[in-house]
Amino acid sequence: MAGSLLAPAPPAPDPAAPGGRLRRLRRALSERRTRFGLLNATPVVVYLLVLFVYPIFGTLLLSLKAEDGGWTLHWYADALRGANLDILLTTLRISAETSLLSLVIGFLLAAAVSRLKPLWAGLVMIIVIVPHFISALVRTYGWIILLGEHGVINDALTGLSVPGAPFQLLYNEIGVVIGTTSVMLPYTVLLLYAVMRGIDRRLPAAAAGMGAGRLTIFRRVYLPLVAPGLVNAGILCFILCLGYYLTPALMGGPKQTMVASLITEQVMRQNQWNGAAALGIILLLLTFAGLLLLRLVKSARDAARNRGVS
Amino acid sequence: MRDARIDRRVFLRGVGGVAAGITATSLTACGTGTGRSVEGGGKNSKTLVVRDSGGTYGEANRKAVYDPFTKETGIEVKVVNIAYAQMLAQIQQGRPQFDVIDDSMADFVLFKQEDAAEELDFDRLKNFKKAGIAPSLVASNAVGKNYWASVMAYRTDAFGGKKPSSWADFWDTGTYKGSRALQALDADLPELEFALLADGVPLDGLYPLDVDRAFKALSEIKGSVKKFWDTGALPGVLLGRKEVVASSVWHGRLDDLIAGGSPLAYQWNGARRQSNGLGIPKGAANIDAAYQLIDFALRPEVQAAYAEIYPMGPSVPAAYDKLPSATAANLVSSPEHLESGFDLDVQWWIDNQEAVSKRWQEWTHA
Repeated sequence: MAGSLLAPAPPAPDPAAPGGRLRRLRRALSERRTRFGLLNATPVVVYLLVLFVYPIFGTLLLSLKAEDGGWTLHWYADALRGANLDILLTTLRISAETSLLSLVIGFLLAAAVSRLKPLWAGLVMIIVIVPHFISALVRTYGWIILLGEHGVINDALTGLSVPGAPFQLLYNEIGVVIGTTSVMLPYTVLLLYAVMRGIDRRLPAAAAGMGAGRLTIFRRVYLPLVAPGLVNAGILCFILCLGYYLTPALMGGPKQTMVASLITEQVMRQNQWNGAAALGIILLLLTFAGLLLLRLVKSARDAARNRGVS
Repeated sequence: MRDARIDRRVFLRGVGGVAAGITATSLTACGTGTGRSVEGGGKNSKTLVVRDSGGTYGEANRKAVYDPFTKETGIEVKVVNIAYAQMLAQIQQGRPQFDVIDDSMADFVLFKQEDAAEELDFDRLKNFKKAGIAPSLVASNAVGKNYWASVMAYRTDAFGGKKPSSWADFWDTGTYKGSRALQALDADLPELEFALLADGVPLDGLYPLDVDRAFKALSEIKGSVKKFWDTGALPGVLLGRKEVVASSVWHGRLDDLIAGGSPLAYQWNGARRQSNGLGIPKGAANIDAAYQLIDFALRPEVQAAYAEIYPMGPSVPAAYDKLPSATAANLVSSPEHLESGFDLDVQWWIDNQEAVSKRWQEWTHA
């Protein structure tokens, strides 16, 4: 489903010449490369149909089933009302905050790393990624030791007599965003690092040669070159965050419930599959909206570039 | 070898299924029918399958109950760890792969609603008659095996020598200063009872719970609750790191910390008890052996051996005659603790869980 959204629009059908279209299709199919490609694609398509499309379709049906067996939108109305709506909005807000923060930190980190020698760059990347081989539960307990009221950071701040210390860095939204940002950081760093490595070093040099200052080079040359990576990383972060729940559950307060926690609660404790299915579909639609946004931004950029060329 | 045995079982069960179909009417008439004893019964069945929840709980079962049982009767005990929904699905298909269910008494109420567990014939449980198990732990389809509890825990170094002695003290953040933690909805049933006890409701007047009053009392302490914990290990971490000075906790979870010298203690007044029981699924293959195992698990010495390994309270009071007083003092069903705590009303929670969950979610977001 995601593929069809992102795929380029099919060529407009030509009702005047059905024979011509058929001939083109036949010719395309008779090419060895096409047949080989189709053969190769079959396992993946079957795999996706059985294990992805079918279950999602089942979830969709479940979310539309009334308790008496008829059809209803009751579960969606329920999901968009009262505490459930709050939870949905909280999820969106935390996801947005997390993607913004991990973009900023990821940008700084990736920019620094891309200037390092490959050996050092590799080492820094390992440091960014290795914590994610540790179980999320253990990592979260690590955060408690670091961020708690009597944790390392607050002890240091109190020791330095910083006004207001100790700060509450856990069991509120700050705690959640710190936790989820650390989880999402590798994605942004890796994506941005790849984009930054691909930038032609001669371009900033040429701009400098033309008399541009550092800020102008950054704003007019470097940033536009990195922009596609920023958009991709930001939206990837956002989408991944939407379905995340372990870290928010462990590092947040009662107000930082994410939709995924609500789904778990409904299925595991209340045996309420319909409501959970409706929430799942809403999450899926939000993900599609993110992907669609990505596509729109891309085509807008392409259009702008074409105008600039002509 | 083992595979061959399973094949034989499945085959026999198939034969038994046909027999059961034919004698369906007589089966319903006389309860544990004769069709079953043909297939599974007596001397030629040497393996019994028990469902339990596994983990350290299951290991304690193995050491204290299953292995001694095998030694005495020659019947081997195999274990499966499947969840409620899977058990129910297998029973409803008529082919449960287990003969004994070790599960919470709450699940047995649900099994009763689904008509999925055998009505027990208590005449076949010799040890039951003299066991003196509390009536709240005896259902028509299950008999209580042991208690667990949610209790209060606090840091002994937090209140300048004062010791909180009730949920009212827990709520009294003026006298007992410091952050609190309570259990979240994700972990188990919300702790409305503790709020009501703190608000002055007597132990024997809790049920049916006054939900409005409970949430009102919870609102009073909400500002001091730093974390609503959602995993059983978290209270120990929060108390150990001084994040909070008092918390509710599943009893037993702090034993290792206390043994390691952490300044923590349990407070038993107002402990909320729940219990695990044993029962037999409809369609079980080895009913005779299943009764034998349940009867065995109710012996005082077996109950005592279990409590020595795992900090859950025996359901048979006579087990305390065989336990050292130090062990008994840390068990939820010791005579004093039975007085100072209460049994969770399973039926009330099953009837009201959905509404309370919804209310809880709205309350946390208010």
